[in-house]
Amino acid sequence: MASSAAAAARRSAWLRGLLELYRKPSSALGTSLVAVFLILAALGPLATPYGATEQVFTDRSQPPSLRHLFGTDHLGRDVFSRVVAGDRDIFLLAGSGTLIAVVVGTLVGLFATYRGRWAEEITYRFFDSLLAVPALLLALLLLGSLGPSRSSVLAVIAVAYTPIVARVVRSVVLDTKTKEYVLAARMQGESTAFVLGREILPSVLPALAVESALRFSYAIFLVASLGFLGVGVQPPNPDWGLMVSEARDFVYLTPWTLTFPALAISLLVIGVNLLADGLKRVLQVGAGP
Amino acid sequence: MYMHILRNVRLTRLRLGLVTLLGLMVLGGATAQSVPAGTLRVGMESPSKLDPAYASSDAEIAVLNAVYDYLVDVDADNNIQPRLATSWKVSQDGLTYTFQLAPNATWHDGSPVTAQDVVYTFDRLRNPDLKLPTSDLYADIDTIEATGTHEVTFTLKQTNPFFLYDLSDNHAVIVKKGTTDFGSTFNGSGPFVVESYHPDDRMVLKANPDYFLSGKPGVGTLQLIFFSDQSAEVSALRGGQIDLAMRLPSSLYESLKGVNGITRVDVPTNGFNVVRLRSDHKPGSDPRVVQALKLAVDRKAITEAVTQGLGVVGNDTPIGPLYKKYFDAGATPPATDTAKAKELLKEAGYPNGLKLDLYTPNTGDRPDLAVVLKQQLAKAGFDINVVVEPESVYYGDNKWLQVDFGITGWGSRPYPQFYLNVMLECGAKWNETHFCNQEFDKLAKEAGNTLDAQKRIDDYHKIQQMLASSGPIVIPYFFPQLGAIRDGFTGFQMKAFAGRTDLASVHAQ
Repeated sequence: MASSAAAAARRSAWLRGLLELYRKPSSALGTSLVAVFLILAALGPLATPYGATEQVFTDRSQPPSLRHLFGTDHLGRDVFSRVVAGDRDIFLLAGSGTLIAVVVGTLVGLFATYRGRWAEEITYRFFDSLLAVPALLLALLLLGSLGPSRSSVLAVIAVAYTPIVARVVRSVVLDTKTKEYVLAARMQGESTAFVLGREILPSVLPALAVESALRFSYAIFLVASLGFLGVGVQPPNPDWGLMVSEARDFVYLTPWTLTFPALAISLLVIGVNLLADGLKRVLQVGAGP
Repeated sequence: MYMHILRNVRLTRLRLGLVTLLGLMVLGGATAQSVPAGTLRVGMESPSKLDPAYASSDAEIAVLNAVYDYLVDVDADNNIQPRLATSWKVSQDGLTYTFQLAPNATWHDGSPVTAQDVVYTFDRLRNPDLKLPTSDLYADIDTIEATGTHEVTFTLKQTNPFFLYDLSDNHAVIVKKGTTDFGSTFNGSGPFVVESYHPDDRMVLKANPDYFLSGKPGVGTLQLIFFSDQSAEVSALRGGQIDLAMRLPSSLYESLKGVNGITRVDVPTNGFNVVRLRSDHKPGSDPRVVQALKLAVDRKAITEAVTQGLGVVGNDTPIGPLYKKYFDAGATPPATDTAKAKELLKEAGYPNGLKLDLYTPNTGDRPDLAVVLKQQLAKAGFDINVVVEPESVYYGDNKWLQVDFGITGWGSRPYPQFYLNVMLECGAKWNETHFCNQEFDKLAKEAGNTLDAQKRIDDYHKIQQMLASSGPIVIPYFFPQLGAIRDGFTGFQMKAFAGRTDLASVHAQ
């Protein structure tokens, strides 16, 4: 009984949060944009009339029409189908990359900061050295040695963003670990895992949620940039960045092949950013205790 | 001045018109004949190696061709033409070549061009100790002697019907005796003098007032403007920031159709992309796999999709239709038949398909070719994973010679023997398929040495039959050389190898 009541309370808290997001036009727009992309990604092949790499020879370079919503490229591939397939890909790649960075960053951040002293010193000096290199450069360096592939891109996102997440976690933990209730738990002889998981983690979560959303938007951008530079996902995969890069030479002939993937990147990144702003407001991150 | 004279003379309208017309003709004639005028701005990729021995890209060769002179040149129809050498004689046995140099040719520093300079140039290029890329090419030269101030004599170890073409190789611009600091000084004898060079930005050249060929160069200033991105280059052409762009991808070329003030130029070439499977180990060592590959490819569809129909369909041999007398139209690969290809793969021991990584450099239409091939080959049971690499990675450390399955671009050459010698003969330097066939080698050697033109034609035909039916390479198409020039220029004639285009013959109107 009690647990189901708690579940109901949590559910209504989620609902309240969602409603709160829709109270401001900017975060409402962001949430809606992300929702649309998310639904398309979930539907994937169900939403697309053609295969993402399917070349229909007789339908080459067609402008947008009812038959091909976003037109076709010079090899006869349906741009709408490619954009949707690319949507799913980017959610999977940027999403799981971000997830790895958030989980690893949070764990390392919690333990290292809670332990303090040399553990903290070593971890954060190492992270600082990673942060000294711009993410894209770091990505290019890593991909140069790993070789271009999906898993390398995933690794790159994780390596580039773990330190940033760990830093955010650290700032909260530093503040929290001297709080009375944490000291009390330690005095009671609770294990480190319990103190971290039950006493400290909850206060990290709001900041972490906002940071995750921001990281996700940067990850989308990174995946697209790497695709554009040709070192990320390989053709004929429908990666948005790759599509933009491939369409560059066709900008005068078939502008729609450039416009739609570029628009998709912009809209999703803008959407996630607006959502992150909204989360910040709703969760009152940075607003003080 | 001109108007002043007119005003004083007071003529009737008709006469005035006539005189104006005459005057303009005289003026026009004067600019075209004696005084180079106007500026030609050419967009191109940035050159990186300007030492003639190492230069290879179109941009690099274009710079050399403007600043220096070749001993002999090759025209747009692949015929040998005089340049620094005004005439030559070949001995009866085909082993001795004697060249007379233009007596009035001078270096940009004012000193005369002599036979010693030619000797220095070729001795450098062929010196095996310097390990230059050209040493193999000139290995059949026995001696080079200055037999007069303006006379130079080459003696060969064996007959070579293409020796004049070898002398006109892209690397073989004549340099002044003793020059070592190529790339920073540009003391050529050519039609243009380097005024300033800003690497990765532009090179500004002025007409050489003492150029030994009369009527050249046509323009007073030549600006070579470097672009790292071809769509930016085409935007610059559209916007009037440059006058000429060459080596355009078919997509950008097509996009210039019907644009006011821009004329498109299209020249067929013998340049091609070769799709090749290594033949020295599995799976390419099995002739059935090679046959399956050949059967699975639809060359016409590829040409249509990848070159926008601008290319010429290939027959899996590097001897293309451009070499009119050597080309054998009857040598064709087996017709596309995916069912048969699938069957052959099964026989070869791949009933569930054959998985292969297809490596390709990221330049030109090669990634598109890879993507179209992936789909075509899939129907026959090949499971292709495309790996696109920067050109520097693909060609770096000779990776392109190592990979099992790859796409490589080969530039257009004025004669076909080159491809046979460096790409397909046993143990050849760039034998990327690791192909080795005694009969082929015998034919190729004979064709490359015989002075009997008919025998050479017969040998080339046999080679084409062999390669088309069972050779290790697929050549789906020959690409065209595509360029575009803004109105207001005459005398522009693009060559199959764009870098060898004679920019000195272009005049501004």
